[in-house]
Amino acid sequence: MMSFREKIHWVAFLSLILGFGWYFMSYPWAVANTRGGMLTAVWMLIPTTIIFLVPMVAGTVWFTIRTPKEANLKEDEREKTIHLKGTHAAYYPLVLGIWANIFALINGLSYGWSVNILMATLVLAELIRVGSQLYLYRRGY
Amino acid sequence: MAQAPFTNDIKTLRFLAGEMTQGDLGDKVGVTRQTIAAIEQGKYSPSLEVAFRIAHVFGKPLEEVFRWQAD
Repeated sequence: MMSFREKIHWVAFLSLILGFGWYFMSYPWAVANTRGGMLTAVWMLIPTTIIFLVPMVAGTVWFTIRTPKEANLKEDEREKTIHLKGTHAAYYPLVLGIWANIFALINGLSYGWSVNILMATLVLAELIRVGSQLYLYRRGY
Repeated sequence: MAQAPFTNDIKTLRFLAGEMTQGDLGDKVGVTRQTIAAIEQGKYSPSLEVAFRIAHVFGKPLEEVFRWQAD
């Protein structure tokens, strides 16, 4: 059976896919290279945050009510190591994303693209962080 | 992941200690049930402190709980 933290990681992983999946599928890419493209990206962050947060909060509350004892447990040494390894893995997509953004700015792409590249970088890094932690939870370490 | 280069008798010791569950042992040691399961299966090598705590729960010396088997 999964631990409380593993369940919460699954909720975070699926919420990320849901929230930012909607964002990247709905974003009007044709206007990305304009000021309007940037403002649209900023505006779309509001519903994206809601789509992300609602299942995240609901899932956390649900699992906390079902297993309150586990929810109150502190991270043990194995979980701390899994946490650190996941964060380490997420560093690489962050670096790649920053380089992609620098490349985009040097080549004259506007803020709309820049915002989207940064957002994609963050989402990818989070997916890799949470995904690798889920993998390590399943593998044992 | 490569198996740890040592085996352990935690499962047997739990059974002999009144069929103690992994959760009970985890509570006594201060780790989750899943961590005890991972240690038992040789998927996770505990820190020296946790290894000593496990041995202490069963009232055994460390080498009666964990046995080196590499080479």
